[in-house]
Amino acid sequence: MSEMWINMGPQHPMTHGLWNLRVKIDGELIVDADPEMGYLHRGIEKISEDRHYNEVVTLMDRCCYVAGMSWEHLYILASEQALSIAPPERAEYIRTMADEFQRLGSHLMWYAAFVQDLGLMSPFLYGMRDRDLILDLFQSFTGARMTYEYMRVGGVRNDLPPGFTDRARKVMDWLVDRFREYDALCLGSDIFRKRCDGLGVLSQAQCVELGVTGPMLRSAGSSRDLRKDRPYSAYDRLEFDVARADAGDVTARYLVRMEEMRQSVRIVRQILDWLDTHPGPVMAERVPRWLGAPYAPIGREDYLLKRRYPKGVGFSAIEEPHGEAQAYVVNEGGEHPYRVKFRSPVFANLSAAKHYLVGYHVADIPPIMGSVDICVGECDR
Amino acid sequence: MEPGEWERTLRASLGEAVVAVEPFAGTRGRVRFRAGRALDVFRTVHGAGFTHLSMVGAIDWVDHREVFYVVWSDAAKEYAILSTDVPADQPRVASATSVWPSANWHEREAWEMVDIQFEGHPDLRHLLMPDGYAFHPLLRSFKLHEPEELEVKVRHV
Repeated sequence: MSEMWINMGPQHPMTHGLWNLRVKIDGELIVDADPEMGYLHRGIEKISEDRHYNEVVTLMDRCCYVAGMSWEHLYILASEQALSIAPPERAEYIRTMADEFQRLGSHLMWYAAFVQDLGLMSPFLYGMRDRDLILDLFQSFTGARMTYEYMRVGGVRNDLPPGFTDRARKVMDWLVDRFREYDALCLGSDIFRKRCDGLGVLSQAQCVELGVTGPMLRSAGSSRDLRKDRPYSAYDRLEFDVARADAGDVTARYLVRMEEMRQSVRIVRQILDWLDTHPGPVMAERVPRWLGAPYAPIGREDYLLKRRYPKGVGFSAIEEPHGEAQAYVVNEGGEHPYRVKFRSPVFANLSAAKHYLVGYHVADIPPIMGSVDICVGECDR
Repeated sequence: MEPGEWERTLRASLGEAVVAVEPFAGTRGRVRFRAGRALDVFRTVHGAGFTHLSMVGAIDWVDHREVFYVVWSDAAKEYAILSTDVPADQPRVASATSVWPSANWHEREAWEMVDIQFEGHPDLRHLLMPDGYAFHPLLRSFKLHEPEELEVKVRHV
């Protein structure tokens, strides 16, 4: 039979965002694949060159719509390094907690979308229902459900509201019980296993060669996790295990993400205990108001002070829900960053698409691409 | 490993290809190298355990351009940054794809955004911008506030 290219996307139920997967097929067999990106490119790196340091945080939320908080954290870490500012300890713990909430939210969203790709409708509703509890928590301390603008150069915008830790503990207790149900629904389902086992296999060596990181890499036997290997914020003071599996297939990625959620709950519980007993400031001292004010006082006198910082370059890397994200912020002494460059884990994971698709069938594409956990917003930036 | 010590190690095998190894917070150091010897530097750094290339980026400094690479070593559990300067009128550097295949998309992006020619790249075409896009948006000369005239070609497949 002759080979032909088909387009899956930019509008296709499998894509979860605007992108186009071009696959070359021979009958039902995939012989080549070429993702076509850029449909969601908004030029965030370019716009950042025209914004004050804290105004870029607004863009970070839009960068990845399921993991906005992680991207805020990434950018803030690099900016603080470029400007030589250190946040207080309580802010570091709050940031770490927000990161883990975001990981839970992102993985729940992934779970919901992934099982829907497989045709299982009820788990989709369960996943979205439980993600809503995380969004409620976000709303209670940032005021927003998806676009938080919570982290600032030098700390976080505001402290937690009264009674927050108790509410968060209740949500964590609820989630741990739900994870058991998820496993029963998926791993106990023959349909799920038949559509996932042994598909989209990547070996650890391939992952390293192709730049694949995050749950995909850990599902192939690696234990690389920046939270352990290169701890940032409060991760070096918290106890948790790195989730990993060996098979490198779709089921292994499911197992890794499920275990990561359990570990996130474990981390959040430790942080909540710490926050209860350690009150303190959440903003560094002597951060100029235009840079770190709780609400950026645009148009005020001190906003226009144009205090200059010595030149510097900041580099940060965090374990984002999708993998390893990096930021490179160049400060040339002005109020705007001179250049901002981001590494999106989804970008790198997608670039390897050919290697985990070729050799499988067209019907395998939704489970395989679902297991990659794609967020086009952060891929295209 | 201290940047100074690493510089001596790299100099021993690479000689003048390495300009300097500067301290860089949070990494082993920033290796500044000569663009003409890029492939030798890539192979040596890869052989030293930095098997994972995380990203390739480029900066337009107006009078010249800088290409930087972030690499990670699983054994040492640390990052290193490689950086090279290329002239603005001839922004050429060898592609890293033969050493780190993951450089593929990152170099495509750096080419379309900052106009860096990666010699030996297997597939240097537009990634985020449409085919036929005539500008390099992350150059400083590309102003955000000026309208542009643009004809986008549509690719039929």
